Amino acid sequence: MAKHADLSIDFLGFHCENPFFLSSSPVSATYEMCAKFLETGGGGVVFKTVGTYIPDECSPRFDHVRKETLPFVGFKNMEQISDHPYEENLEFIRKLKKDFPNKCLIVSIMGMNEEDWERLARDVTEAGADILECNYSCPQMTHEGMGSDVGASEELITKFTKATLRGTNLPVMLKMTPNIEKMEVPAKAAIRAGGHAIAAINTIKAITGLDLDTYCGLPVVNGKSSISGYSGKAAKPIALRFICNMKQDPELKDVPVSGIGGIETWEDCAEFLALGCTNLQFTTSVMQYGYRVVEDMISGLSLYLAEKGFDKLEDFVGIALKNMIPADHLDRDFKVYPQIDLDTCVGCGRCYISCFDGAHQAIEWDAEKRQPKIDEDKCVGCQLCLHVCPVPHCITPGKVVFKPQDQFGKGSEAVYKEDSPNKREIIVGTYEQ
Amino acid sequence: MNHKTNAQGASPEQNYLCEAVPPLTIATVMEEASRCLLCIDAPCSRDCPAGTDPGSFIRSIRFKNFKGAAETIRKNNILGGICARVCPYEKLCEEACSRTGIDRPIQIGRIQRFATDYEKATGFKALEPPKQDKGKVAVIGSGPAGLSCAAGLAMLGYGVTIFEEKSYAGGVLMSGIVPSRLPKYVVEEEIKYVTDLGVVIKLNTKVGKDITLDALRKDGYKAFFLAPGNQAPQKVSVPGIDLQGVTTAVDFLVNAKPSGGKIKVGKSVVVIGGGDVAMDCATTAKLLGAEKVSVLYRRTRAEMPAYREEVDYVEDLNILFYYGFAPEEFVGSNGQVTAVKGKGFYDDSTIMLPADQVIVAVGQKPAPDLSAAAPGVKLTEKNFVVADEDKDCKTSVADIFSGGDIVNGGKTVVQAVAAGKVAAEQIDAFIRQGGK
Repeated sequence: MAKHADLSIDFLGFHCENPFFLSSSPVSATYEMCAKFLETGGGGVVFKTVGTYIPDECSPRFDHVRKETLPFVGFKNMEQISDHPYEENLEFIRKLKKDFPNKCLIVSIMGMNEEDWERLARDVTEAGADILECNYSCPQMTHEGMGSDVGASEELITKFTKATLRGTNLPVMLKMTPNIEKMEVPAKAAIRAGGHAIAAINTIKAITGLDLDTYCGLPVVNGKSSISGYSGKAAKPIALRFICNMKQDPELKDVPVSGIGGIETWEDCAEFLALGCTNLQFTTSVMQYGYRVVEDMISGLSLYLAEKGFDKLEDFVGIALKNMIPADHLDRDFKVYPQIDLDTCVGCGRCYISCFDGAHQAIEWDAEKRQPKIDEDKCVGCQLCLHVCPVPHCITPGKVVFKPQDQFGKGSEAVYKEDSPNKREIIVGTYEQ
Repeated sequence: MNHKTNAQGASPEQNYLCEAVPPLTIATVMEEASRCLLCIDAPCSRDCPAGTDPGSFIRSIRFKNFKGAAETIRKNNILGGICARVCPYEKLCEEACSRTGIDRPIQIGRIQRFATDYEKATGFKALEPPKQDKGKVAVIGSGPAGLSCAAGLAMLGYGVTIFEEKSYAGGVLMSGIVPSRLPKYVVEEEIKYVTDLGVVIKLNTKVGKDITLDALRKDGYKAFFLAPGNQAPQKVSVPGIDLQGVTTAVDFLVNAKPSGGKIKVGKSVVVIGGGDVAMDCATTAKLLGAEKVSVLYRRTRAEMPAYREEVDYVEDLNILFYYGFAPEEFVGSNGQVTAVKGKGFYDDSTIMLPADQVIVAVGQKPAPDLSAAAPGVKLTEKNFVVADEDKDCKTSVADIFSGGDIVNGGKTVVQAVAAGKVAAEQIDAFIRQGGK
């Protein structure tokens, strides 16, 4: 058998066999569901948000965004916190801890006021939780003073975090809303109030689409609809940027982060880990495919890490952070021309169309031969052509040319040369195609 | 291509009437359209004889504009739903497809069928006929060329009447192509599409017998499109041709589809020939209950002109093919055929196939009374009408235009549609120039 890296990792004092957790959501609502996931290989679960407030749910409550024929590019969920009776949830938690003592049991909670938060913290701690997660970010709560309004208010975050800490001696993680500009601000409030870790991101407020016959948002609930949380693959880029911002913030850089947002494959997992997460949560991929998604996360990530020479997962955590820099710090002294392999080119002309209509008119089209040709005088090296080409490895990054030294930073029209004094090794992407 | 397995327990007629290729759904048509490279120059569109423009309608499907796709098809090819089922794509648009350079071509025919099915299912009408006040034109024959020309002229504002000698419209679409490939209802619906544009079809009216062109001229018809097709069978001169049980493709198929499969089929059938019509005969015989069906073809499979996909389908029906044999004699007893004796086309081999029915499907030719229908029109030695259907469809008589099988000797439905389009434009120009 091929070599697999060890995926175990510490998270808030708990040694988890792997970082793959169900997030607090419809997929972690009962003992039976969590147990099935843990038996399938998950390192732990975040049990669906427990509260004393019991929501009254609508039907239907989901929608998904399709691109061409591809379903679930993005997913919309209108479900709120657990609608199981409070006592039943506590019983689920007791039984989960008893039956899976070596798996990490995080319990999500949401109170209506300070007393409620304190009571919830105390009850779930007594029931056997290992870690608490405060849900400050559900965007579809129907009760005032609950949900993502909290995550946008430093005052409420501070108050509720302190209340939670009065009810427990366990580590407390705060789940943040992305429906703001800077997550660092509420995250700092949470940590200053005594919180131990950040979970990000919760879902994005969204309208996934409209029903063009009833002129109503989706899903249609008796002719009406509401804005609610958006998740899935399309949310991943947004999650990654919030996490990167927090992990690069001097005050937050050492605060553990549990990454959430469109995680479906081991590659998604690797991306969140490389940006500093030590724990990962997912829901949408499970709703589409089931708990078994975790099997290929375990297999794929451990093979990848072994191939890259990492013995332990923690050595990999945060490895990409140093490579995310402000846009004004990027090396702008060169350009990489695309190169077109005319042997594999099928002559569709897509590169020509996109270059003309969407870039710099730098591809010439020979209609007779059905062949594109790069005009190096006009090509700026944006590589849009590479992204639209439907043939694998037909267009790839090619020749690198540099601006002459005396024009650095002057903003004048650059003259690129292959033999510039500034010539040096340039790292280009590998572009999976 | 996946063929639908015929339903278990279904009667032979039910299987005969059931379309073999399943339709695409919204999900699968989107999948197929998303495979399209959306080429800048759309070689598929270039290679459609009728200009159906798959490059445009596939792009419309890709951007979820199903009605727009149907509109493109109907605007360019009035028989879009029929061509979607019977076109030899592998030799036309799909052969040109750039996706072939990556894996396999887009299934253009099935996408086209989805769009025309969608049009029907939603009750959308892509074409609205204009006011028809530019004068009267007569079309002779209601096959694909005639229907295409009639629809084109109706859309240009002419009052068009089609004269059809048979008791049903559609020509070869009805009498020639097996329903598992082209169901009867599809033909009827597309004929209705044409009549909904204002075209009148007069059945049981044979021009040259029931009515003459001169009478029509007197009645105000300004031009004629002659498209009777090739209705007479080619014969083979083989001993035993007159035995009971020996028939021709034309006679065998003529009532098969119109009657919903209620025709007499032998137990052991031999089909002579290797074209699409021969395949239709073999399929019809097998699906309507023949125990054993064989096809005898004188050349090799590679040289056989039948559409390759159709040959696969025929083979899947457990029909036997004997290549390299030409019929030498139809053997009989008491006046009834009992076997086909074949001799090697390439060598001295012989073969003897028992048969109680033999269907000769070696091509068709113009009906012998063509000159009576269109006096003065110049014909070739083999009795085809002299005209250039790619250019102008003009015959030696100024107000008579012609196209389809009667001109080209017998090609495809899409070629006939193309000829009908050319004729409609040319007739319009002719009439606008004062009928000279």
